[in-house]
Formats: sequence, C-alpha cells, structure tokens
Amino acid sequence: MTTVDQAREPALPSKRGLSRSYARPRRTPLNWVRGGGLAAFLFLLPLLFVFGAFSWYPIVRTAIMSFQHTNFVEAPTWVGFHNFAAVWHDPQFPIAVKNTAYFALLALIFGYPIPLVAAVLMSEVRKRRGIYSVLAFLPVVIPPVVGVLLWKTFYDASSQGVFNTILHWVGLGPYPWLQSQQWAMPSLVLYSTWANAGATIIIYLAALIGVNPELYEAASVDGAGVLRKVWHITLPQIRGVLLVTLILQIIGTAQVFLEPYLFTDGGPVHATLTVMLLIYNYAFGNGLAIDYGKATALSLMLAGFLVVFSLVYLRATRSWSTR
Amino acid sequence: MSRPGSGGGLISEIEWHRPRTRWGVRTLQALLLVGLVVIGLGPILWLAKSAITPTLDTLTHPMALFPHGAAWSNLSQAWNDVHVGRYFWNTVVIAFGSWAVQIVVATTGGFALSVLRPRYAPIIKGLLLATLFIPAIVLLVPLYVEVVHLPLVHRSLINSYWALWLPYAASAFNVILVTRFFDNLPREIFEAAEIDGAGPFQLFWRIVLPMSKPILGVVSVFAVLASWKDFLWPFLVLTNSNKQPLSVRLPSIELQTSLGVFLAAMFIACLVPIVGFLVFQRSFLGGTGLGGAIKG
Amino acid sequence: MKSIRVAMIVAAAVLLSIGASTAAGSTRSAKNVGISVASLIPGSTPEAIKQFNAQVAEFEKKYPTIKVKPVEYQWTAPTFAAKLAAGTLPTVFEVPFTDARTLGDHGQLANLTPYFKKLPYHKKYNKAVLAEGTNAKGQIIALPKGAYAQALHYNRALFKQAGLNPNKPPTTWAQIRKDARIITQKTGKPGYVEMAKNDNTAGWILTTLVYSLGGRMEKGIGTHAKATLNNKYTVQALNMLKAMRWTDNSMGSNFDLGWSDINQAFAAGQVGMYISGSDVYTNLVQAYQVNPSTYGLTTIPLAKNKTAGVLGGGTLAAVRPNVNKSQLAAAMKWISFFYEQPLVSKKQAIRNAKTLVANKQPVGVPALPLFNKKQYNLANTWIKPYINVPIGQMKPFLSGIFDQTLVPEPEASTQSVYAALNAVVEAVLTNRGTNVTQMLQEANAQAQAAIKQGS
Repeated sequence: MTTVDQAREPALPSKRGLSRSYARPRRTPLNWVRGGGLAAFLFLLPLLFVFGAFSWYPIVRTAIMSFQHTNFVEAPTWVGFHNFAAVWHDPQFPIAVKNTAYFALLALIFGYPIPLVAAVLMSEVRKRRGIYSVLAFLPVVIPPVVGVLLWKTFYDASSQGVFNTILHWVGLGPYPWLQSQQWAMPSLVLYSTWANAGATIIIYLAALIGVNPELYEAASVDGAGVLRKVWHITLPQIRGVLLVTLILQIIGTAQVFLEPYLFTDGGPVHATLTVMLLIYNYAFGNGLAIDYGKATALSLMLAGFLVVFSLVYLRATRSWSTR
Repeated sequence: MSRPGSGGGLISEIEWHRPRTRWGVRTLQALLLVGLVVIGLGPILWLAKSAITPTLDTLTHPMALFPHGAAWSNLSQAWNDVHVGRYFWNTVVIAFGSWAVQIVVATTGGFALSVLRPRYAPIIKGLLLATLFIPAIVLLVPLYVEVVHLPLVHRSLINSYWALWLPYAASAFNVILVTRFFDNLPREIFEAAEIDGAGPFQLFWRIVLPMSKPILGVVSVFAVLASWKDFLWPFLVLTNSNKQPLSVRLPSIELQTSLGVFLAAMFIACLVPIVGFLVFQRSFLGGTGLGGAIKG
Repeated sequence: MKSIRVAMIVAAAVLLSIGASTAAGSTRSAKNVGISVASLIPGSTPEAIKQFNAQVAEFEKKYPTIKVKPVEYQWTAPTFAAKLAAGTLPTVFEVPFTDARTLGDHGQLANLTPYFKKLPYHKKYNKAVLAEGTNAKGQIIALPKGAYAQALHYNRALFKQAGLNPNKPPTTWAQIRKDARIITQKTGKPGYVEMAKNDNTAGWILTTLVYSLGGRMEKGIGTHAKATLNNKYTVQALNMLKAMRWTDNSMGSNFDLGWSDINQAFAAGQVGMYISGSDVYTNLVQAYQVNPSTYGLTTIPLAKNKTAGVLGGGTLAAVRPNVNKSQLAAAMKWISFFYEQPLVSKKQAIRNAKTLVANKQPVGVPALPLFNKKQYNLANTWIKPYINVPIGQMKPFLSGIFDQTLVPEPEASTQSVYAALNAVVEAVLTNRGTNVTQMLQEANAQAQAAIKQGS
C-alpha cells in the first residue's frame, strides 16, 4: 500500500504529519482554516498562553529589570550596567560563588561515585533486588522540607543531639555541625547526598541492566576479572547516562537554595551563602533594602554561566557519548 | 537484556561459582543492604519513634526507646492544633491542579507540534529548547512581580493557587518529552483515521491520547512530585497561612511548636508519599517509570 | 419588556457583586466596612486565639458596621518588606520603632493625623514615644502600642539547682559571667545564651550589650550619621562573649538562636540567663507554655559611667497606605479599642484584663509607659487585682528599671547596623580565632555605606 501512495505523491517535500502532499493552494484565511491551521493554533493556545505569560515574558523582563532600578513606589529607571557592577563589587558575591562551587564539588565527590558503586553491586543481586531499590529510593520520596527539618534536629550541636549521641557511642564528638564555619557546608552536602543519591542509583541501575551481557561473556572468555570488566565494559557502555547525570547534577547543585536557607540561612558568617540564596536576599530578604535590579542581574549572571558551561560541556563530550 | 534472577551479567557464571568471588560479592551486597537500611530507613524510623515520644525525652535522650512511655498526644495535637490535615489537603489540591494543567498543556502542545505540524512549529520548538537551557532562577523575580500585579488585568494572584498552577504548566521538559513520544507514534494509524474522516480533535481524543498512557504516566509522576516538593515559590506567593501547603507551613511553625508535636506533624506529612511510593513502587521504579524514561 | 427588566436587574446585580469583590480591602457595601488586623504570631495556643477572637467579638458588637478579620502576623525584617511589596499586609499591622519613621517618610504608612486628633486621650502621650510614630513632615503615621526596655531573663529553677539565690540575680557583668559558669558546671545547661541569628537579632543584642557598657553605634542622625560600630565598648563586649564562650564554655553549643528560638529554649528549661525585651513573658506563655515559677526578671547591669544605658524599643500600630476613608476610620477605631483603650480607660482596662484572665493569658507583664507617668501608674492600679503573672519574681526589674537611662536604638538605618554586626557575633561564637578588630572594621564600613544610602 505504501508504495502505491508514494508513486502517487509528487516529489514535494512534505513537512506535515498529516498528508496534504499535493501542491499547496493559495494561502487565504479560509484555506488556512481548511488546511488545519486553525486546529493547530487552537491546540497550541494553552501552550502559547502559559509559556508566553509565565515563561518567555518573565525571561525577557529579567533581562530588562537587570538594567533598571526598581522600587515599589515609582516607575523604574534605567541604570545601565550599574546593577551588574554593584553585584560584582559586593563582598558577598565572591563568597557566594566560592561556596556554591564548594557545595557542587563536595556533592559531586560524594554524590556521583557512591551511587555508581551501589548500583553496580545492586545490579548483580540475584534475588529480591527490589528491596535494595526501595530502600535506596525512600529518602528521595520524603518531601525536602521534612528532610531538612529532620536533619536539622539530627545536627543539634549539643551532646544530646542525635548524631552527637550516636557518635558518642564510638567515642567521637560532640561536633558543632551547623554551628561551625568549617562543618556547615559539609553538613549540608551530607544531607543533600542522602536525599538525592537514591534517584541517581535507580537511574544508574536502569542503565546497567541494559548493558549487553554478551560483552561481559566475551571479556570473561578473554580472562578479564570483575574489576577489569567494570572499567573496560560497564563504564564505557553507560557513559551516556553518566555524562547526562553529571551535567544535571552540576546544574542542580549550582542552584542550591533550600538547604542553605532552611538549615543555616547562609550562616554562620556566610559560610553557607550560595548564589541562589544571595539572589533571594537581594530580592526578598534585605528588609527595606530590596533590590530587584541586583537580584535579576545576578540571576542573569548565573544563568549565563550555566548556559555557557552546558554548551561547552556538550561540545566537549559529544565525541564520548554513545549518541 | 539480562535475565531476571541472574544478575546483570557482569559476573559470569564461572566466576560466580568461585567461592572467593561469590562470598566477596555477597558480603559487599550484605554490607550495602545493611547500609541502605540504616541510612535509608533509619531516619524515617527515628522520626516515627520520636513522633510519639515526649519532647523532653527526645531532647535529652534522642536514641532511647520510650524511657517514659509514649506520647500519642503528639499526633492528636499535630492534627488538631497544628492542623496538619488542612495543610496536607492544600498540598493535595495544589498537586492535583498542577498535574491537570501540565497534562493539558503538554498534550495539546505536543499534539500540535508533532502531529499537526503547522509551519511555525520549528520556531516554537526552538523556543522551548532554549527555555530548557535557561535555569529557573532567571524567572523568579519578574514572575513574582508579575503575579503580584498582573499586567493587563490589574489583579493580584497572590494567595491564589493559579499563581502556582500556571507557572508550573510552563514546563518545556514536559512538552518536549511528550512531543518526542508523539513523534515515535506510527503515522499509519493517523493516516488511516484521517481517511476514515477523523478531524484533528477526534484524532487527538480518540487515537493519540489513549496511545499515550506510558508518557502521560511519566509526566504525571514528575508533575506531582515536583509540586509536592516545591518550597520557594509557594512560600513567596501564598502568604495566607490557610492556603499554604505542608512544605511552606512546617518551617514557619517550627519555632512555635514543641519538638514532639512538630516531629509528629512531620511524620504525618511523610506518610502519604511513603505509603504511595511503597504501594506503587513496582511500576514507578520499573520499566514504565523512571527506567523507561531513561531509555527514552 | 419583562425580559429587558430582568436582564437589567441581573446585570445590576452582577456589576454590584463584581465591584464589591474587587477591592483588596474587601469592602462589602457602602454601609459595612471590612478591615483585616494583625492578630497573633503563627502557632499561638488555642487559648490565645480564643482570647483574641473574644476581643474581636466585643469590638464588632460595639461597632456593628465594622467587620474585623484577624490575620496571623509576626514582624520579621525580611517578610515585612516582601508583604509590603506584595500588598498583603493586613489593614492594621505592627511595626517596631526602628522602621516606622523610615516607612512613614517613604509614604508606605497611612497618615493618621486627622483621626489622631479626635482621640480623647491624644494629649496624654509620652512625647518621646509618640515621636517614634511621627514622620519628618510631622504627620502621625503610627500609634505606639507598647514600649519595652531590654532586660535580663533568668531561670529561677536553674539558679536554685546551681546553688545560687534566685532572689539575688547578678547585678554586674562580672557576676553574670560567674553565675553562668556555675550554672553550666552544676546543671549542664548553658548559663548565659545570646541571640546570634543573622535575622538581625544578633546585632540587636550586641548593641544592647554595648549600650550597657557605655558605647554607641552611631553619632549624628539621618544620612549624615557616622557609624561608630568599632568603638572600644564593642570590643569589650565581644571579648566578654569570647571569654564566656571559649574559656568558660557557658554559652551552650547552638548559636543560631533568634528571638523565638531563644524563648522556646528558655521555656523548655534549656537556658540559664538571656537578654531580650522586657515583654517577652507574654510570648513565653502564649506560645511555649513556660512554667511561671521558673521565670525571673531583672535589669541588665550597667557600667558605672555616664553613657551606660539600657536599649529601649517598642512597637507601633500602623495602617496600610491606599485604604479609603471609611477603612481608615474603622482602622483607627480598632487601634484605639485594642491597643490604647486598655491603658486609658478604666472600664476597658478591667474588661480587657477579665477576658485575658478567663483565657489564661498573662495580665501585668511589665511594660514601659506610653503615656505620662501618672497615667501609667493609674493603669497599673486598675489591673492590679487581675495580675496573674509572677509579679514578685519580676521585682528586681521593676524596682531597678526606672533608675536606668533609656537609650533608643540607633536612629539611622537601624536594621542595616544590626545586619552588619550579625557576622561579627556569629564569628566570635563559632570560631575561636576570630580577628575581632578586623571584622568590626568591615562591619563599620558596611554600616556606614548603608547609612549614606539611607537604607
């Protein structure tokens, strides 16, 4: 049937899903409606409305507001690059950047390889693999606010705090956790890993199960041991997933807000102040000194950085991915 | 694909019969299991225990097991005084609404872009892709200003759930996911339906939607989870405490509530996601859920 | 014909209902006025809420055309500004002394002057206190509802347990340090706890300490003021904290406590002594069910020099801008009824006290005079039979406070001064090797920049 149809069709490239493959008639409104244009437009209306009003318009406005000075009483005024300069020279800006990078790095060190090791072990579980998955994913299901508040009680710095009590059993502690400038950020990362590693494990597990066992058999025949097989077969085979989770994790951690806000509010002494928290403080936090201009300027700077980073990353890893 | 009940294939049968490898791996797996129980289940069990422990006991001996008996009143206080039920209901309403708008926008938009393919579809697809690259923070301030004072209509959406539902609906990720899925649907079925005289609306309703159950499931799960977990945006736009979901209300009453009651409230807040997960975990974690979405 | 008439009636009804429901102030019709008012802080006990609702009912009975809607409310610097920007403040709300004038100068509070002059007691106000609610143009933009002085709160039970006499609380800073050390050693609970949260309560308490030693954070007023955060008394105060924290280890291990957290900890018996406003007993009862027998109140020790004084502050009741005349009149009636009448009308004071007692709310918490001293003493005699707070345990404060010099909070950019000090306090308490001089210098520069900008 298809060949007969193809013979009848002229050689015009048809970009449409529905077949209207004869020569296009004159484009009048009536023909547009007849040709399905109205239907397409009607179907697109929800998308266009929602995105136009609540996505594209705000994005454009961010760009505009970053060049303006806004207060809630008078009309905004244009101030050129003043906001960007103000952010750049704010002593809290380099602190926030450093902290965000620190958080992302720590989160990567703990949250990237550990789930992989766990997933590899889990992929070889012969019976009742489900229990492992359920247990691993359980923390992910807990609403983040509950998780943070729960861990806030765990992190109580007195010797009766939960973690300090447990560590006391093995003769360690008590530790200051969130009360110390050195310990605060690692405490946040520890929580974040607990809350998110489960999802990564499941993703890795799905990818691992998809690896063709014949590759392993061939390698075994060649005499490769388990670790060798992991390094030379497993990792390369799932590299697509590995690369995607890496970039997603970096982008996610760069925007960390909830943990520093609820655990320590950027403290102590700005030790957990992240870029996102700084943006929030500019826009909503500083009492009577609210500055939407600085907030949008910093938002743009962060967004710009992430976009550039993503593009560079995609380019650099294009040759390595399995696509 | 590996056969069920036989592991992933990494360790061959021969290696598995070697005692050293077998016990080595088994030990590691056992350690992992213990670790997962302690780390994954531990905090939740502690929360359950502390929810019915008197505050003083939790403060002075957090790891003890009911040294002075249980305080079931924590739960009733959490329900009656803290009104956990009301905030939980708000969370449900918000999640349901955001699910509904996201499904509507993603399916109608995906259908138009993938099946109807108007001439300007590539532009929209490009815009969506660009949106995907732009991190959400960029939207925060202008979206807030817009919600406080809607441009043409001169109303405020503050304290209305539409301030949440509408921005949630603008998820480029959903639309792209659905569009790709529709792209992979066999075109012959559409053409057959068209020959039978089906217009675009019938095509959408009678043919495409019923075939989309898998992807709709994935989008639904993402939508509900994202709405359930969200904090900052509902925190900013819902200032009336009666309308706040759990995620916003719990931190604001942290200081005014005694620890035992507070933990009880948190435990109640966890129950539904945990129970829901345990009930649906097979489909969620398995082929049609996250796993399937990864392969797609 | 009939259908046209029906259509017109329907249209009129629709238009009326649309018009009535658009205004954010929820005006029902020309006759009834609706206002929303700040009620209690989130999480207050059911009894406190009942008490408040009882007063609302009484007010609505007195003024049947006014409908009052209570709204949970708590002043914190960040959320207030956000609410102001979003227009979600209740019609009547509360503002601390530190911010009222700035807001009034920016036109962000309604002008109350014409209605103020109609109040029968408007001449009796304490001038200094009234000035806190007057903007630069001389307009009254907020009415004082409560004034307080900073005080030292201590746990009598912990004192007893440590072998100290709860009726003889410390009267010098050296004694505070000593008592704190003894309490920590004998009871295991921190003897002295200080707010160190970066919601500006850290800077607020540090400023209190500095004032009590004789220092000031600013010289001059307005945008020409000079920041003096790094004066020698600030260094002295910080060194004192350093000693208590690191040498004596008597300050506990949690250093992110703010105004509410520290109240919560105190009510739970976890704190030996702490400094906060003299009126926090209300919060201790309403939100944390403190055991009254454990509560003790005394004055903050002042150094023996001319400039040592106790930091005073207060709260005012203000009205949102952009309200119409009937709402403004209704708002003023509420302010007068709820906040001011119990202090100037014997009948109202007694009635108020009775309802408070019936709902187990505190009556008689020490307050500073809003009106002249005569009125203050008079009002206290009216409610004397209803006092249900352990007033005897607050004697050290009541007998000492009127001998202390009351010093207002730093006038220019108050919140920014506190904000600059937050980091210094946090650093001293969480890092043993903090360079106090350098941090104070940075804080001073930060505060000076804010003062110059007028923020």
